[in-house]
Amino acid sequence: MDESRRTLLKATAALLVDQWAASRLGALSADPSAGAGRKVVILACGGIRREDSFAESGFHNIPHLYHDLLPQSAFYPFVRNAGVTSHYNTVSSVISGNWQRLDDWGKTPPSSPTLFEYLRKRMGLRQDQTWLISSNKALTSKIGASTVREFGPAYGANVIFPKQLLINAVVHAAAEGRAVHSSDRSTVQPEIEAMLNGDNYDGLGWAVGGDTSSLDVLTLGTMQKAVEDLVRSNAPVTGDEFTFLVATEVMRRFAPSLLTITFSDMEVAHFGSYSLHLAGVSTVDRLVYELWAQLQSLPAYKDKTTLFVLPEFGRDLDGSNTNGFFNHRQNSESTRLTWMMCLGDAVRKAQIVENPIEQTDICPTIARLFELKNLDLPGKPMPGLWL
Amino acid sequence: MTQTIINDGRDNMQMDAARIAAARKLIERLPVTMRPGLNQQLAAWDSLFPFEQKSVSKFMSGLQAYEPSALETLTQPLRKLEERMGVAHWGFSESQDTMENASMLARSEFYADWRSEVQRVFAAINAAAHDSTNAIPKPGRLILIVLPESLPVAPVNTWKAWDKRAQVLKINGDARRLSELCIHGRPDRPGIASQFAPEGGGQSADLWLIDADAHLKGSLAPAERQAACVLSYAVLKPFRDKFLADVNTVPKSIEATDQTLAALRHRDWEPWWPAELAGQTRLRSFIIDLFLSGNGALIFSNAFVEWAASEVLRRARPRVIVARFGFRAKPKPFTGIAIFENQQRISTLPDVDDPQGSATDALILARYTWLAALRYPEHEQTCCLCILEQQNTAYVIAPDGMTPPWGTDHSPTPEELSDWIGMHLST
Repeated sequence: MDESRRTLLKATAALLVDQWAASRLGALSADPSAGAGRKVVILACGGIRREDSFAESGFHNIPHLYHDLLPQSAFYPFVRNAGVTSHYNTVSSVISGNWQRLDDWGKTPPSSPTLFEYLRKRMGLRQDQTWLISSNKALTSKIGASTVREFGPAYGANVIFPKQLLINAVVHAAAEGRAVHSSDRSTVQPEIEAMLNGDNYDGLGWAVGGDTSSLDVLTLGTMQKAVEDLVRSNAPVTGDEFTFLVATEVMRRFAPSLLTITFSDMEVAHFGSYSLHLAGVSTVDRLVYELWAQLQSLPAYKDKTTLFVLPEFGRDLDGSNTNGFFNHRQNSESTRLTWMMCLGDAVRKAQIVENPIEQTDICPTIARLFELKNLDLPGKPMPGLWL
Repeated sequence: MTQTIINDGRDNMQMDAARIAAARKLIERLPVTMRPGLNQQLAAWDSLFPFEQKSVSKFMSGLQAYEPSALETLTQPLRKLEERMGVAHWGFSESQDTMENASMLARSEFYADWRSEVQRVFAAINAAAHDSTNAIPKPGRLILIVLPESLPVAPVNTWKAWDKRAQVLKINGDARRLSELCIHGRPDRPGIASQFAPEGGGQSADLWLIDADAHLKGSLAPAERQAACVLSYAVLKPFRDKFLADVNTVPKSIEATDQTLAALRHRDWEPWWPAELAGQTRLRSFIIDLFLSGNGALIFSNAFVEWAASEVLRRARPRVIVARFGFRAKPKPFTGIAIFENQQRISTLPDVDDPQGSATDALILARYTWLAALRYPEHEQTCCLCILEQQNTAYVIAPDGMTPPWGTDHSPTPEELSDWIGMHLST
């Protein structure tokens, strides 16, 4: 990647997280040494078919996952999404351990408690110890906490959408009739800094504990302007790259015990470009590798973190009446059967675990990692891990 | 009543208000979840292609033939399923297919069971109809796919096979002439354009030219244009730009989206339609449906070609489709993050072609075009001819009994190949 572009994005991500910390936490210190115990990072990416990833026809799209990470992982080649194969429902199901059947566009929260809530309530964790950082515009902040009375927003996660805010900025600029034409990046960073230090800026995205309607206005108004300035810089960027940078910044500053990241560049498939879809798959491959390197280099994470990497689902079969790779709504193995890779602390040994599992098994597995007991979950902990 | 709308073999069947009302009464005999699609087709009767009108009429005929008690028995499992799904509490639209309907069905835990039940009921009712189409001869059909010279498509021997019957023919001559020869013909051999001109004028749905650029329309003589439904991504640009801008105002709410999409469907788009589509009401309606159904048709030219061809195959079952793929630009350095936006409007940076990416896209979408045809029984009479202009090669899938007469030791000329196609279509 172009180093000047990366530097700009990193600086921007750091500023965003700084600003969030200042405005949301007030007197609370963000102590990276907090949560000295186990840590878990879930990285879910949109729809990727097995044939485009872990198959002879797909290995070339995922060189890091295949050559660098597979040999040190517990790899699950048969992971089933038996729920609704939409983004909001799938991610909700993974983090709640129950198949969710909700409005696809995130109008309602999960109907059973999320891992964020279990962790915060049972372990007494602060809100800055559980995060969901997402590229996917199909999600909403409601995913951070359930509707269950004993849990809910008081125990929810911080939920932020870096990519969506960038998109909003581009769309906003377009709506205002301003085309993007500048290529002078050197002028951009001070502008972003100025915007992010504005009085009304109240965090990047939506925190579940806040008043979302007023927060939206304050946050988005400022952010849209800030990111418009980034747009004018003509900095080449993908949404997942920016999400990754924000996520790593959050790890540095807050060292959350449970961090969920979702990527979505590969979802360009919905618009019918297979080549751009594969480019999105390759971006995920690279970012997972970089994330793993970050987890090895940050003291708060090194040797005590388990990373779960999974596609949310596959994509539809070639020749299906749902138009093949474009979509992910077919009731077929191509769409429902996917894979998962686990790396780090909980991995007993590098191995391929051929036992079929379901995505709802991830939640009880992570609960066991955190020694949370007596949860009423339908799934069972996955084999092949120290639990 | 429905005697007048059952399949009588005529194209463009007429439906007056009384007949539509009677047909709606018949639809009320069906379980709720079967009604919206049928009611929507009745409401848009004049926008349906002849094949669709015949299909609806056939279904109505079958429905009418069912004794009430037999229909009750047939549909009982589906009605029970609807009860378990809680459809009565959904606010389910019976007048038209909506995103909200689809969303609620798809997230039901009984969705797969529901789909198979609906298919079973449809099949049974269709089977009860007197079907006069069985006696109609099955003519030859053609899907002609053009991968133009500018696309650096991978060699055929590296392709994922489209069909076990596929053959590769090296062309002895200039492959770029083939599509024009097929469409326009030669002085002594009429091309498909004149072959499919409807008698007495009128608009045909048997010949479709679908183009990522604006190349194909130039191969038609003025008198031939009436014969074809011509869809050009390039020619549609003013309409596309306006439509895309309006689609992008859709809020993030399924209910509001349904309202916005309905408004878009019924809006007066007259100022933005290209002159080529003057008076072509049905074709305009098809284009709006195409763009509202997504699948990238508004964003990328190659997705437009593939999705248009797939929808044409599903809805019109034409004799001939010519699908010509093309280029897309590279995503722009920053605004590419909002790929669903009009990049030329939000960025003044010049477009830069992406030949390799375009070729990758075109190749899989060309294959999808053929796979779409395989979903319908007409494929048994369909010849698929994919021309790789850069490699001077044709990839041919011939229906049974129509094996190309050239062995591996003979390369046909463009004229020989187009004559062979013409012979197939004349059967």
